[in-house]
Amino acid sequence: MSSTAEKTMKTDSMFINLGPQHPSTHGVLRVGLTIEGELITKAVPDIGYLHRGTSKLAEVRGYHHCVVLTDRWDYVAAMPNNLVFCLAAEKLMEVQAPPRAEALRVLMCELNRVASHLLFFGTYGIDIGAFTPFLYAFREREMILDLFEMACGARLTYNYIRLGGVMADVPPEWLAKCREFVDYFKPRIDEYDTLLTYNPIFMARTKEVGLIPAADAVSWSLSGANLRGSGVCYDVRKSDPYCGYERYSFDVPLGQTGSCWDRYFCRVQEMRQSIRIIEQVLGGLPEGPTMAAGVAKIPKPKPGEAYAHVEGARGDLGIFLVSDGQASPYRMHVRAPSFLNLAILQELLVGNKVSDVIAILGSIDIVLGEVDR
Amino acid sequence: MIDYFAKVLRAAWNTCKGLGLTLKYLFKPAITVHYPDEKLVPYERFRGALLFDAVTCISCNLCVKACPSTCIDLENATIPDPKNPQARKKVARVEWYSIDFGKCNFCRLCEESCPTKPKSVWHSLDYELVFFSRDEMVRCWKAGMSWVGQYWDRRAKQFKDPPGQVRIMEVDARR
Repeated sequence: MSSTAEKTMKTDSMFINLGPQHPSTHGVLRVGLTIEGELITKAVPDIGYLHRGTSKLAEVRGYHHCVVLTDRWDYVAAMPNNLVFCLAAEKLMEVQAPPRAEALRVLMCELNRVASHLLFFGTYGIDIGAFTPFLYAFREREMILDLFEMACGARLTYNYIRLGGVMADVPPEWLAKCREFVDYFKPRIDEYDTLLTYNPIFMARTKEVGLIPAADAVSWSLSGANLRGSGVCYDVRKSDPYCGYERYSFDVPLGQTGSCWDRYFCRVQEMRQSIRIIEQVLGGLPEGPTMAAGVAKIPKPKPGEAYAHVEGARGDLGIFLVSDGQASPYRMHVRAPSFLNLAILQELLVGNKVSDVIAILGSIDIVLGEVDR
Repeated sequence: MIDYFAKVLRAAWNTCKGLGLTLKYLFKPAITVHYPDEKLVPYERFRGALLFDAVTCISCNLCVKACPSTCIDLENATIPDPKNPQARKKVARVEWYSIDFGKCNFCRLCEESCPTKPKSVWHSLDYELVFFSRDEMVRCWKAGMSWVGQYWDRRAKQFKDPPGQVRIMEVDARR
């Protein structure tokens, strides 16, 4: 091609908005894209549409009230949110949850991880253009939400894990129903593989797209399946066990190249591992109380600070709490995995085609409630 | 060329495999319900619309303090003080009680804090909580009102029954 032709063929760069009300952004996220033809030259994620200022709200509320606030960050997987706040506050208050409460916490968090990954599996299929898996994923997710409804009365904003334990012991028939679900769910994952995972059309859309090298993943401080999809083995449940995770045997699934498909595949494998953990917890659920003694109605921890982090459904979820001896926290900082995972989008999208934007954005699996808090 | 057709064939075969899986479910019973005609009854612990019983309430203010979003408000009932004719004396009864459902988190903290037996404020199984105006969101209770309560219509300047709310208990249970 001659230089004149190149000059005349050159397209003008164009600015387009993806979102904030786009069905594939899974919430209110605006991405300002600068495109040249089909190629993206610049991408600027614009966040803050769902900002509610929960870290500030926590400063005027009691510790028990803050647990209710935590439900609203990652509303797809709210149990780990409850858990991480309670772990941090329990460090401040020097309270230890009883063994049965700890086992129930693990059980609920793993069930919630499965529910969250099922939502990802379903909506990611829709993003790529496969509608059927969504219906199958939501059928199973509905069963998990039923279990939650039975245990704590809510389907999304649980407020189940409380300071010093859990809200209440599970109803007597709950454990049998949970076992029934586990037995039902295990063969379903193979069906998902038939429907979506090894479908050549799906693989062609995702296998070579949105590559994150391991070094980039670490330097952008990704966590969760986004980091493990690039082959970096980091899981808070293994590296810094909490709630007795060291007692359960499970593997950390890893991807190879860090493509969209690897991140997707990691999540599907994590569902299998979560089911493994759930089976172990159900097998050896200790008896006893579900709430520690001596948790005040209005706790006033000694002045000090505490950091706790858990492996949430989206990654390393951490809370830094500072107490000045008053009834409400002096400062609460949240390390939200979705927020940090979203940051890599501006680098990841550059050089890709417009049609791949949704595939990449979906594979990062963000929840805007947690990004904006 | 052969590669291309092999790819097409593989994609077609996998589509057929997927369709075979969905075909299997065609002959299994449906998991959905026809919503307005048949309704699922939630479990016992379900946190639905809040109900309030003005008869058992002792006006202790614990639910007001327990609420994370300060959506509950109440006022003590008073009787004439026999010692001082000008002043009035507080009694352990409630004059009026209100819940702003626009702010409510449905977190169950008020129900847990309630000291009376049976609970004076509790979550019903009603998940069909709908509002047509902002006035309807603020539900008020006074002695003599039902557990559902009434709302204050600012335009008509009178208490009204909340419309459009179907009592979930009146529908036949499916499970």
